[in-house]
Amino acid sequence: MANGGTQRRKYRLQGAGLDLALPYLMLAPGLLIVLGVLVYPLWDGLRASTKAYRYGSVVADVGMQNYIQLWSDPQFLNALWVTVKFVALSVTFEAILGFALALFCLREFRGIRLLRTILIIPMVITPVVVAIVFRLIYASDAGMLTAISEWMGAGQVQILGSPVKAFIGLVVLDVWEWTPLMFLILLAGLQSLPHEPFEAARVDGAGNWRVFADLTFPMMRPVLAIAIVLRTIDAFGTFDQVFVLTRGGPGEATRLVSIYGYDTAFKFQQTGYAAALFVTIGLVVLALAFSAVRLLRRVDAS
Amino acid sequence: MNSPLARIGVMSAVLAVVLLPIYWLVSTSLKSNREITQEGTLYPHVPTLDNYIRLFTEKQFGAYLTNSLVVTFFSVVIALVAGAMGAYAIARFRLPFVMERKVGLFLLTLRIVPPVVILIPVYLLMLKLGLLDSWLGLIATYTAFNITFCVWMMESFFREIPVDLEEAAMVDGDSRFGAFRRITLPLAAPGLAATAIFAVLVTFNEFLFALALTATPRAMTMPRGTATLIGRIDTDWASMSAAGVIGALPIVFFALLVQRHLVRGLTMGAVK
Repeated sequence: MANGGTQRRKYRLQGAGLDLALPYLMLAPGLLIVLGVLVYPLWDGLRASTKAYRYGSVVADVGMQNYIQLWSDPQFLNALWVTVKFVALSVTFEAILGFALALFCLREFRGIRLLRTILIIPMVITPVVVAIVFRLIYASDAGMLTAISEWMGAGQVQILGSPVKAFIGLVVLDVWEWTPLMFLILLAGLQSLPHEPFEAARVDGAGNWRVFADLTFPMMRPVLAIAIVLRTIDAFGTFDQVFVLTRGGPGEATRLVSIYGYDTAFKFQQTGYAAALFVTIGLVVLALAFSAVRLLRRVDAS
Repeated sequence: MNSPLARIGVMSAVLAVVLLPIYWLVSTSLKSNREITQEGTLYPHVPTLDNYIRLFTEKQFGAYLTNSLVVTFFSVVIALVAGAMGAYAIARFRLPFVMERKVGLFLLTLRIVPPVVILIPVYLLMLKLGLLDSWLGLIATYTAFNITFCVWMMESFFREIPVDLEEAAMVDGDSRFGAFRRITLPLAAPGLAATAIFAVLVTFNEFLFALALTATPRAMTMPRGTATLIGRIDTDWASMSAAGVIGALPIVFFALLVQRHLVRGLTMGAVK
């Protein structure tokens, strides 16, 4: 992505003393911090994932036991299923809505700047606060939905008490929060497309739908794919919003893997098992990312 | 499809969907708890600032805000300095072994892995170092996260700046580091700004690590402090909504102020 085709010029290391050491001196602070605070813990986490803990200290070396146990743990499998459902639904809606909105805003018109400004708000608000906003919408006593429904003469609205509705409520929250990002990325993509093919198609008398299906969509595919991959990766790690909105409930209806892992570690104190869970999630996300990159390269090449 | 009527329709729909929830948050924060749960009014009939005053007099929100500002400031500044230098080294020098290509990829990989993956070991590390519930523990953690994408973003900004400019400066007697500091860095300023803004946003809003690593108002950040108000049974809606407004206000204000750079930072990498 970064070096688009042309090879740029670089300095060769030459001279002596300080000049020779300069690149390493410049790299060192950043690398040291990353090694200390990210890489060492990552390795430590791998180690912890092969141990059994009781009350916060290691009691046994269990090898791959934790990893094997995961796949017969109904709560983990459920959390994984809920996460996959959540990510698939949210990202799909975000992509469709974001793309539609970006196409709509492609032509400059009055008010578009206001629209773009307003759309920035959901994605910059602290996720914890976004969750509070949606609790205030869904709550059966203080909620906006209840207030509107009572104003229209109907009764209270129950959202977070029902497993299905709470799950849908969570998806709605994510779509509200992240459609704007999809929109901005796709709009930037649309704006960077060359004009000529579109003008030629118009001259040939192609209608709106033909232009979209034959030109816009195929040309936008790489950007769309990257936007979807970015969102998918981020959505997989969703934690804050669920923690505040439902805490995973009711029952296990909205318990994502991140929430289950957190509870396993900090509520049930099964540190080793939780570490194995997180390593597994990390591997799943990395595999997802790398296969997506592979796929993109193949699309680019053809 | 693009008739004026359709435009107005879509515009108002988008505005309503985005702004109504925020209106409800603000409006709830100006009501008393009685009005919120008993009367279900659509707007505050008896507006009051009591909820906000209570946050600062009874609930330590002054401390949360201070903690957030201090932690965000230091972790962003340190990450920017260390990240800019690292990115420059990768962008400009031929490095031996596989470092040149692999350092960038390595940092990108770290960025892709969801942070939750290293939550437990980071917690154990801070426990061992005695840095739980301290500014330093949070600053170290956030700095590391920020460096991963600072290097990645800034490397591409540095690559876009022609090498010739630096060489000209060096011919005029600048040292190599001097050329970096006086020529390249100022030219990369818009990129640095976009990176910094993105880092501020992510750091100020971070919740998961704040949740695990802090426990008292000594180090709790805004999002973490706000979460303490969420009860399981009896929810103090008035305080919670006021806390939501206070928590969101600085970052929304900041984002609107630097909007142009922000959009650049957010969409960068995807479109290139």
